Amino acid sequence: MSAVEHQGVALGGLEAAELPVARTNRRRRPDMRTFGMKLVGIVLVVVLLVFMVGPLVWLMLRAFSGLWQFPQFLPSHWTLAWWRSVFDDKSLAHSIRLSFEFAPIVTIASACICLPAAYAFSRFNFPGRRVLLVSLFATNAFPKIGLYISMAGVFYSLNLMGTFLGVVIVQLIGTIVFMTWIPTAAFSAIPRSLEEAARDVGAGPLRVFFRVTFPLAAPGILVAMILSFLVAFDEAQGTFLVGIPNYITMPTEMYTLVLNYPEQAAAVFSILLAIPSVVLMSFARKHVMGGKLAEGFQIR
Amino acid sequence: MVLPPVAVVAVFIGFPVGAAIAYTLGKIGGPNSTVALLAQRQHVAHHGVTLGAYREVLGNTHVRGDLWATIWVTLVTVACVVLLSWSIALYLRLSNTWISRVVSALSVIPLFIPVVIASYAILTFYAATGFIKTLAYHVGWQSFPTLGYTLTAVVIGEIWVNVPFGVLMMSSGLNSVPNALIEAARDSGASLPRTVRSVLLPMNVIPTVIVATFTGIYVLGSFTVPYLTGPTAPNLMGVSMQQFFGSFNQPQQAEVMAMIVFVLAAGIGTIYVWANVRATKRASSTT
Repeated sequence: MSAVEHQGVALGGLEAAELPVARTNRRRRPDMRTFGMKLVGIVLVVVLLVFMVGPLVWLMLRAFSGLWQFPQFLPSHWTLAWWRSVFDDKSLAHSIRLSFEFAPIVTIASACICLPAAYAFSRFNFPGRRVLLVSLFATNAFPKIGLYISMAGVFYSLNLMGTFLGVVIVQLIGTIVFMTWIPTAAFSAIPRSLEEAARDVGAGPLRVFFRVTFPLAAPGILVAMILSFLVAFDEAQGTFLVGIPNYITMPTEMYTLVLNYPEQAAAVFSILLAIPSVVLMSFARKHVMGGKLAEGFQIR
Repeated sequence: MVLPPVAVVAVFIGFPVGAAIAYTLGKIGGPNSTVALLAQRQHVAHHGVTLGAYREVLGNTHVRGDLWATIWVTLVTVACVVLLSWSIALYLRLSNTWISRVVSALSVIPLFIPVVIASYAILTFYAATGFIKTLAYHVGWQSFPTLGYTLTAVVIGEIWVNVPFGVLMMSSGLNSVPNALIEAARDSGASLPRTVRSVLLPMNVIPTVIVATFTGIYVLGSFTVPYLTGPTAPNLMGVSMQQFFGSFNQPQQAEVMAMIVFVLAAGIGTIYVWANVRATKRASSTT
């Protein structure tokens, strides 16, 4: 489970709120405490810069380094040669292409499977609704690698090991919670009165859905699709287990790169692999950081 | 309409897990027949069930080492993530300056980075030629230990991956505490630590439990972080599971280890459900 995936589970609602920062207007007392708070803040910033950002910067520098000897803080010789060697490597290029094949297929499959269910979960109250909604969460309640090992055992019998379909299924599993829970919340957020009003002026059910319901839920669905795409794109451990040796996607290729290639090549590849995540997450950022986190997680 | 996702979960999670339970108990028929053909060192039950595979795996000293390593890394990671995300969220709750905005932006960076890359970045950062060693060298601490390929590096990696989730959860919990409540405590003379202890802490129990349980389950089921940053042995169960399955061709043993991890996760899950139930009860008794 990637960090993205971990996060997306928490999406109960679709508030477009920024990351919650206190909006308090406490009486300001110009004493030691404000200074203390500032100090704590600066310490936190330094710790986070070193701990969170440091490794990423260190890795990026490596992608451009020709010669970098311990104990220097920066490479003594810079080069772009590693980028060329990565783009020229056939197997690496192939894994990039594979990743961009799997992720869209998985996202679309997941949407086809889950979106109708999300609509039903939000609009119809049927017996067992809550149990079913929570049971989908089984995909995330199991420790991932244990689950993949169990799946792989049965995949042999189903002739899915090392097949395209097997990899799609493994990646699909991780997207199901997003594709149901987030769109369910999006559909539920649409007031029924809007749909009823449209029906009152003579629109048929299909027309109501496509002209009223769907456009209003579209942002939520889009976020679900972005997150699903990233889950599929970044999924490494399940694909590694099921896809090998026929289907080696970008993240799985990283395992080999780290072990068998020069460090700089792995660094270049890392940057390439991170681009889709950074770009797509930036689009979804506002929604991902919405405030309804805790509610989505509480069993009711 | 609801059927397709439920069916996918039932067929590709429920069914394999059920089959895996049967296989670990020595049942090699049905869905397990193909994997059983390929496997080595199987424990087969001709009548009833056998616990042979469990006995073998738990009797293996390497696996026991991995098990303890897993439990240790999980506990330390959970403690650190809870502590760190609590401090960051608390700071964000009490402060609203440009510094707090920088802190909140920095603390969610891992959400944007695939875990594979994060693990590799962390490995190089703490390696023998990494930034930390370089820094230690320049401040004259040349005997500073190399953390790459140790369980410490695994813990660092797991914390890195899990902190954003913790901060988002804790922040959302702390933000739901009304300002009036904090003001009231402060006005009646409570110090800041006292306010945190008596007002914010009790009102943020559920998010804390959620962060702890989800981090715990995540660490138990992780493979990428320990595989890339961890030592050869003992490492986390996720890594040895993969080795037993892929390299040693002993899927039954791998599935036994998966079951052990499931049991640990189920224990954690119980805490989560119990905390939720208790909170609901308390909420209904007070209102």
